[in-house]
Amino acid sequence: MKKLIVLCLLVSLAIACNNDESTNTPTPGSLNLVFQNTIDASPLVMNDLVYTNTSNENYGINELKYIISNITLIRLDDTEYIYPVEDSYFLIDEEGNKTASLVNIPADTYKAIKFGFGVDPTKYPIESGTLNFVPLAEEADMLWSWSAGYKFIKFEGNYSVNSGSEIPFLYHVGSHGATLDNYKEIIIPVSNMVIQSNGENDNITERNIQFDIAKIFDSIHTLSLEAKNEIMVDPENAPKIAENISTAFSISE
Amino acid sequence: MRYLKYIIIIFFINGCSSDSSDENAIVSTDDTPATVTNALLDFSVPTNFPDATYSIAQNPPTERGFELGKKLFYDGQLASDGVVSCGFCHIQSFAFTHHTHITSHGVDGRIGTRNAQPLHNLAFMNEFTWDGAAAFLDTQPIIPLTAEVEMNETISNVISKLEADDTYPTMFYDAFGSEGVTAERMFKALSQFMVMMVSANSKFDKWERGEAVTFTAQEEAGRIVFDTKCASCHAGTLQTDQSYRNNGLAMVDPFNDIGRERVTGLPQDHLKFKVPSLRNIEITFPYMHDGRIATLEDVLDFYTDGMVDSETLDEQFRRDDGTLGLDITPEEKVQLVAFLKTLTDNDFLEDRRFAEF
Ligand code: HEC
Ligand code: HEC
Repeated sequence: MKKLIVLCLLVSLAIACNNDESTNTPTPGSLNLVFQNTIDASPLVMNDLVYTNTSNENYGINELKYIISNITLIRLDDTEYIYPVEDSYFLIDEEGNKTASLVNIPADTYKAIKFGFGVDPTKYPIESGTLNFVPLAEEADMLWSWSAGYKFIKFEGNYSVNSGSEIPFLYHVGSHGATLDNYKEIIIPVSNMVIQSNGENDNITERNIQFDIAKIFDSIHTLSLEAKNEIMVDPENAPKIAENISTAFSISE
Repeated sequence: MRYLKYIIIIFFINGCSSDSSDENAIVSTDDTPATVTNALLDFSVPTNFPDATYSIAQNPPTERGFELGKKLFYDGQLASDGVVSCGFCHIQSFAFTHHTHITSHGVDGRIGTRNAQPLHNLAFMNEFTWDGAAAFLDTQPIIPLTAEVEMNETISNVISKLEADDTYPTMFYDAFGSEGVTAERMFKALSQFMVMMVSANSKFDKWERGEAVTFTAQEEAGRIVFDTKCASCHAGTLQTDQSYRNNGLAMVDPFNDIGRERVTGLPQDHLKFKVPSLRNIEITFPYMHDGRIATLEDVLDFYTDGMVDSETLDEQFRRDDGTLGLDITPEEKVQLVAFLKTLTDNDFLEDRRFAEF
């Protein structure tokens, strides 16, 4: 019996917290990723129809929310620091919180930031730790009401064509059960991002990540609002939006 | 052997606590009641069954976790009106369906659009609900909890109610070994309760396992008809190949249910629904996704004469002469019904572990 206990103890110690490297690092630091939603490199102006897409449609934005997840930092030697996955879900809301605050990061120099847009639908929810994110996502209306899946982005507003009347538009892109994977992994290089140990003085590294909203309509694919102003569970257009979004992030240093 | 179970449990609980100062706790188990009293339950796969799809290792059912899941399942507090529990629509003696209603009834008597599904052998399913809107058992309860026509609540509000309750915080502690009423724990406990609902003791199971049962001549004849005409979809031990198909039901007002297309957006999924398991089918009436057919005899009449054509109708139902349906003689229908009744598992329907009272 004793032997058994010792064995189990060893096994559990060996396995315990292998994904949480920070506990082994004596002096971890912090990183704030601030998401800046922009068009033409300027902060968004909400509501008014002040923007024009390449389909020559004027549009304004009333609501913009999205989910960022699975944040990983890549060191100079290509090794990765994977942020504890259950703490890595963030709701970014143009009219609310726009910062992903990461703590207990091993002090080091990093050359790239990797994150997910949306929620990885292939991972088992216990494994990926999303179950505790459900209440927040629900309050933000980021769950489909009829299904147990997430909206990765909620993007709504109004548009007009040829100065005609204002018509509402709505893009909700997420997972379609297990059949279509609109989750995207995004990697942005950063030049030698140093995370310092917090020590006495609160040393928080901060990086601004720009999300170029115009690219939702115009990037790899071009989407016209007149052609389709409501995209929800749409196996043809939703993947196009997701692909466009995967090109829309950059960092200003 | 009993000890081994406890150690495994402790191992799971301590597996990844962020403050790693409790190494000692792993050894001195005997004075931590939360862990010591919480034995693993025996989830074993019946010998005639395929492997479980649910990841038991990530959420192993325990005595206290199951108890918590059961209390949650039967608790009307989880609904906005304080009445409609999961168990209100999923009644054990009808294999956890709501057989007095055609489609489900939720808070304030609001009527849903679908027939409550039986709950059994969920640990072996790939996707959940009639159209597969839930890809995981752990997230499936989000749908009934938040649907206006079902429990009409928000997850955050449910968690607040549980936190304020006299007994839940202790039960969560006992089930998971530390403080905290969280959404993840609630979903895990519900899954632990539902995963244990294994129905594998029907006459059909005993026959499959080669136990001492014999089919009557009629049951045996029915089994052979079933194998040739039904088992391409209602396949294998689980009585379903878990695919989505259109079996020729007309789309009807007021629901106009488009089926699987709602989940995938694909036109080829129009009017397709998950092939249901036919286990316990004798007592899960009424039948089909909206409960439109009352008896098994009527189901068989539908299969021979009641189908409506549409683009996505399963090819198996197209006869050479252009008419629709399966060819089943009146005698074969009687035999089929006799066979279908061998799928009833009274041990499961009367299993005290799952009973509300
Ligand atoms: C108002 C009645 C109602 C209530 C309350 C209800 N359900 Fe259901 N349940 C249904 C209906 C109807 C379906 C089929 C849903 C569909 O296809 O859209 C279903 C389907 C399910 C399924 C899928 C079964 C399968 O084989 O895919 C599970 C699991 C389930 N319910 C569990 C629960 C749990 C857990 C609760 C409580 C949190 C609950 N239900 C509350 C009516 C209800
Ligand atoms: C091509 C696939 C297919 C074949 C073959 C098939 N079924 Fe079905 N069956 C289905 C589907 C799909 C449903 C669910 C339809 C719905 O509700 O929209 C269903 C539903 C049923 C139901 C209702 C189950 C419930 O829980 O409400 C019964 C009973 C049934 N089938 C019996 C049979 C029998 C008996 C046969 C052979 C004579 C048969 N089926 C052949 C696909 C099939």
